Amino acid sequence: MTRGTAHRAAAMSVMGGALILLALLVLPVAALVWRGGAEGVRQLGSDGELQHALLLTAAAATSATLVVMLLGTPLAYLLARNRMPGGSIVAALVELPLIIPHPVAGIALLLVFGRGTPMGAALARAGLGIVGSPLGIGLAMLFVSAPLYVSAAREAIARVEPRYEDVARTLGDTPWRAVRRVTLPLAKRGLFAAAVVMWARSVSEFGAIVILTYNPKVASVLSYDRFTAFGLDAALPVAAVLVLLALVPLLVLRSLRSEARATTSAP
Amino acid sequence: MIALDGVTAHSGDFALRDVSVAIAAGEWGIVLGPAGSGKTTLLETIAGVRRTSAGRVRLRGQDVTTLAPELRRVGIVYQHGYLFPHLSVEENVGYAADARAHVREVSERLGVDPLFDRPVASLSGGERQLVAVARALAPAPDILLLDEPFAALDPRRRVRLRVELQRMHRERGMTVLHVTHDFTEAGTLGDIAVVLEAGRVIQVAAPSVLFRKPATAAVADFLGADNVFAGQVTRSAASGMSELDTLLFEGDGIRLTGVGTHGGGQGHAVIRGEDVVLARQHSMPSSARNVLEGTVAEVAPQGVLARVTVAMGAATLVAVVTDASVRELGLARGVAVVASVKATAVHVC
Repeated sequence: MTRGTAHRAAAMSVMGGALILLALLVLPVAALVWRGGAEGVRQLGSDGELQHALLLTAAAATSATLVVMLLGTPLAYLLARNRMPGGSIVAALVELPLIIPHPVAGIALLLVFGRGTPMGAALARAGLGIVGSPLGIGLAMLFVSAPLYVSAAREAIARVEPRYEDVARTLGDTPWRAVRRVTLPLAKRGLFAAAVVMWARSVSEFGAIVILTYNPKVASVLSYDRFTAFGLDAALPVAAVLVLLALVPLLVLRSLRSEARATTSAP
Repeated sequence: MIALDGVTAHSGDFALRDVSVAIAAGEWGIVLGPAGSGKTTLLETIAGVRRTSAGRVRLRGQDVTTLAPELRRVGIVYQHGYLFPHLSVEENVGYAADARAHVREVSERLGVDPLFDRPVASLSGGERQLVAVARALAPAPDILLLDEPFAALDPRRRVRLRVELQRMHRERGMTVLHVTHDFTEAGTLGDIAVVLEAGRVIQVAAPSVLFRKPATAAVADFLGADNVFAGQVTRSAASGMSELDTLLFEGDGIRLTGVGTHGGGQGHAVIRGEDVVLARQHSMPSSARNVLEGTVAEVAPQGVLARVTVAMGAATLVAVVTDASVRELGLARGVAVVASVKATAVHVC
C-alpha cells in the first residue's frame, strides 16, 4: 500500500467514525421532531395540560437558574481565585450531583425535604412544601444542574486575569467593588453561557423531579406519563415540543460562541 | 517616602526575601535586576496587592504593612498596562472615583486625549502603556510605582513621556519607584538605584556609583561591565591615612593593581571599557599602575565609538575608544598595542 493510499484510508476511517457518531446523536432526535413536531406545535394552541407543563418547566428552570446564579457566582469566584479553604474538596462536593443517578438524587432530596423529615415538615408548616409542589420541581432542577453552572462560572472567572482586580484596588476599589466593576463585567459572557447550560439541563430533567414531584407535571414528566398511559403516539407531540424548547438555549449558546470568536479575532 | 524593612513576600513559588530599601520623599528610585529577580513583586508588595509574610512596609512615614491597597494612595503602572478591556480609554483614565478633576489635565499633558474614544482592544502596546500611566496619575498619587512603563513606546513618545513624568514628579513632589532595564534611563532619572537578584537586594546606591563600583561581579555583569575578572585579591600595607588600600589582583590570566576596600581572598576586578587607554607603544612614564601589552583581537564599531578587544595571553581586555582613535592608531586585528588602566579605575569587589 502506498503512503497516499494509506493516508486516504485513514482519512476515510476517521470521517466514517465521525459520521456514525453523528448519526447516532442526530437520527433519534430528528425522527422525534419529524414524527411529532408538527402535531406538537398544533397541540400547543389547544392542549391546556401541555401549555401548563411547558410554562411550569420554563418557570421552574428559570427560578432554579436565578437562585444558583445568586448563590453560585460567589462560590465560583472563591474557587476560581483559590480563596476558599479546602477549595479542591469543595469543588469535588459541588460536582457530586453530576455523578449521582438522577432518581437517586431525587431520593436523597426526599430524605432531607420529604414530608416526614424535620426540614420538610418545617417548610410545609411555613407554606413551603417541597414534595408534590412547584418548589420541589425547582429544588430537583437546582440540585442536578447547579454543578454545571458553578463549574462553568468558575472557569469563566478564572479566565479573567486577577491583576485587573489588583489595579482596581490600587485605584481605590474595595475587593467587592473591584469584582463588581471589573471581574464580573469581564466574565459576564461566560457566566451567561453557564446560566444557559444550567437552564437547558434543568428543562430536560426528569429522574429527580419524578421522585419528588410527579404532579404538577413538567413537560418531561408529562411526556413520560402520556407514553405509559396512552402509548408512543400520544407521547410524541409533547416530546417533540420539549426538544424544540431545548433548541432555544442551544442556539443562544452557539450565537454567544460565534460572538466571542468575532471579538477575540478583532485587531 | 517608601521604606521596606526586612520584607519577605511570596508570589507563587517565588519569594522576595529580607528586603530593606528606603526611598526618600520626592526621590526617583530605580529598580534594576535580571528577569525573575522580584522587581514586579517588590512594587506589588509596596502597593499592597501582595501580602508580606515578614517585615514592615512604611509609606509617608506611616506603617502600612497591613493596610489594604485601596487605602495606600499608591499609583502602579504594570508593564502590560492591564487596561480594563470593557471600558473606553476615557473611562479607564477616569476609573478612580477621585480622578475626575485631573483626568483632562493628565490626559492632555501625556497626549492621551486623542485616544479617548478608541476601544482598548484597538490600542497599540505603546498606547496602552501611555493610557495606563495616565490612569495611575489621574487620582494624583504622591507615590508612583512604574514597571517598565516606557518599554513598548516608540522613541518619540518615550522621550515625551519621560520628560512629562519628570516635570510632574518635580511639580507634585512625587516619590517614584521605577523598574527598568534601560541603563540610560536609570542614569538619567534615578536619584537612587536598587539592584535585585533572586529576590534579594544586593546593592543600593546612586546610579553613578552603581555603574562605577558594583558590589558584586553579578551586578557588574548585569550592568554590562566590559571587563570582569575572577581571581585572588591581596591587600598591600594600608597607608593609615585613608580607608582605601592598594589591592593586588591576580586571576583569569591577568595581574592588576587597584585601589579600594577588600578583605583579601577570592574576589573580582571590574574595569569599564571607557577607562582603558590604548597606545601603539609604551609612552613616557605615566601614573597608570597597570600597563599591559597585547594584540588587537577584534574591533567592533558602534557608531562614533568602537569596542576593541585586546588579547593578552590567556586574558582579554575590552577598551571602548572613539572611531577617530581607531583610525589614528590604525587599530585592526593583529596590531600590537599597550593598554593602560589607572589603579583607581580598577574596582575590586
